[in-house]
Amino acid sequence: MNAPFYKFGAFGDEASLVIAFVIGTGFGFFLERSGFGSARKLTAQFYLDDLAVFKVMFTAIVTAMLGVFYLSWLGIMDLALVDLVTTNLWPQLVGGLVLGFGFVVGGYCPGTSLVAAVTGRIDGMVFVLGVLAGIFAFGEAFPLVKGFYESGDFGRLTLPQALHLPYGLVVFLVVVMAVGAFMGSGWVERRFARPAAER
Amino acid sequence: MRRMHWTLNRALAAAALLLGVAAIAGDPYRGSTVRIDTQELATIVSTEVDHVTPRELADWIIQGRTDYRLIDLSPAPDFAGYHIPTAENVPIALLPQVGLARDERIVLYSEGGIHSAQAWFLLKAQRYPGVYILLGGLEAWKDEVLHPVAPAAATPREDAAFERDAQVARFFGGGPRATTAAADAGAPLGSPAAPTAGIAPPRPPVAGSPAGSPAKKKRKEGC
Amino acid sequence: MSTVPDAAAGAPARVAAPYMNPYLGGVGLGLVLLAAYVAMGRGLGASGAVTSFVSWVVSLVAPGHAAANGFFAEYLEGGLGHPLKTWLVFEVLGVLAGGFISGALANRLSRTVEKGPRISVAGRLGFAFAGGALMGIGAKLARGCTSGQALSGGAVLNAGSWAFMIMVFAGAYALAGLMRRQWR
Repeated sequence: MNAPFYKFGAFGDEASLVIAFVIGTGFGFFLERSGFGSARKLTAQFYLDDLAVFKVMFTAIVTAMLGVFYLSWLGIMDLALVDLVTTNLWPQLVGGLVLGFGFVVGGYCPGTSLVAAVTGRIDGMVFVLGVLAGIFAFGEAFPLVKGFYESGDFGRLTLPQALHLPYGLVVFLVVVMAVGAFMGSGWVERRFARPAAER
Repeated sequence: MRRMHWTLNRALAAAALLLGVAAIAGDPYRGSTVRIDTQELATIVSTEVDHVTPRELADWIIQGRTDYRLIDLSPAPDFAGYHIPTAENVPIALLPQVGLARDERIVLYSEGGIHSAQAWFLLKAQRYPGVYILLGGLEAWKDEVLHPVAPAAATPREDAAFERDAQVARFFGGGPRATTAAADAGAPLGSPAAPTAGIAPPRPPVAGSPAGSPAKKKRKEGC
Repeated sequence: MSTVPDAAAGAPARVAAPYMNPYLGGVGLGLVLLAAYVAMGRGLGASGAVTSFVSWVVSLVAPGHAAANGFFAEYLEGGLGHPLKTWLVFEVLGVLAGGFISGALANRLSRTVEKGPRISVAGRLGFAFAGGALMGIGAKLARGCTSGQALSGGAVLNAGSWAFMIMVFAGAYALAGLMRRQWR
């Protein structure tokens, strides 16, 4: 049995939709569990007194990264068959910046706003409407921005390729960075802790 | 409670670091190089998931996709005579030595289908994950893409489809062939139109026209 | 940190459970993402499903317009026979279900507006809409949002995803000072 199962034909398109729902349920569950349904919790990381969201995010990246790496190393998974969104550097840098603005202005990102909306947060529901409007506006403007959207095309590019380092070494560096950041985050949280009266 | 969290957090951090250190030595693309699962190979062969049709390949080239490598297994003189645009020449005898990257989709083709099938096994035996065969090889490429045959009694719909094929053919420097001529001449290999196209990925000739052709359009990825 | 439910919710105010240990939550989230890679060879996402939905609505209102627009057209063709029959749409339905289940189990279902004490509800909702719109535009420009790019791409060491992630934090921290009134 080789992973990714879908790419090896273990099941078809229809079955993949059932799996999508199951995986999505797990995704939504852990998002809510970790406080990602609350705009105040999500934005607290930008005021440095509660970095829980940052910790969750990077723990998830490290966990999945190690899992993908070891499964591929053991020959259970074919890393070459894993989808990689192409790197289009310029639109991704600008898009990231705009998305960062939207994050601190709106308090959510698309996935977390859905969790917020379904748990009753009215601002989450309004945020989802905003996302719909933004995507609609982008679609309408697409002919104008198409050139920029497709600029800076590096194709399928991984960090190890870009940095000319072995894959395993990059994995190690990411782990070290993350654990270092987690250890430092306790200090940051204490340093920027709000006085009790303000809470 | 707080103490317990601390020890849990420390255990997680230690596990992550341990796995991280052990990762330094590893190469995720190398897989286990010795064991070959013949049953798995047989399954892949029987399900034909590793086939790329000439039309799919033509669309990839026209779209300028860069997420695969096209390998021509012919001897160098044949490659110099004609090869599919964007192809690289790796004569089959050299295949075990050239060290193709494992993290790319590799599409193989040869004159017919036999050498590419054998090369597929060579690479699979070295646990290359993403190896594909151009169905029918260069012959099928010439028949289906370079010199498509017009359907005999075509409906308007078939005509439209054929017009698109003809556009694709002209893009690659070929052209449709008449139904009658095809019967006696076979594939017009040495026709004056036979191109020696460059290596650079070509741009679409008519904006958008061939892009809509394949039924299997690449689904949007990401978020 | 917990917000007080307003009167409209009407439910007896049971105490919301504290959030999970962030590292355990992260491991859980990471395993879900890993499951997506193992089963499907692809990561998680959110804005892609929203885009399918937007494209579908546009195609209902103005079919010709949607088909002529390269962006909407691509999403309309993406489904398995129907624009909404895509992997991401079903995944997002799951996200809604999973979020609801977790919220219900932890007594966190409450009709509230998340905001700091120094901003009106209308003001907060205005910012939520504006932020959502920015997020929609940014996510499309970057080919993914925090789920599809930062989380999923980050785990498979996609170079563009890491560049994107750095810019997300840069953008958010750059505006955090200006937005302080909304949250604090």
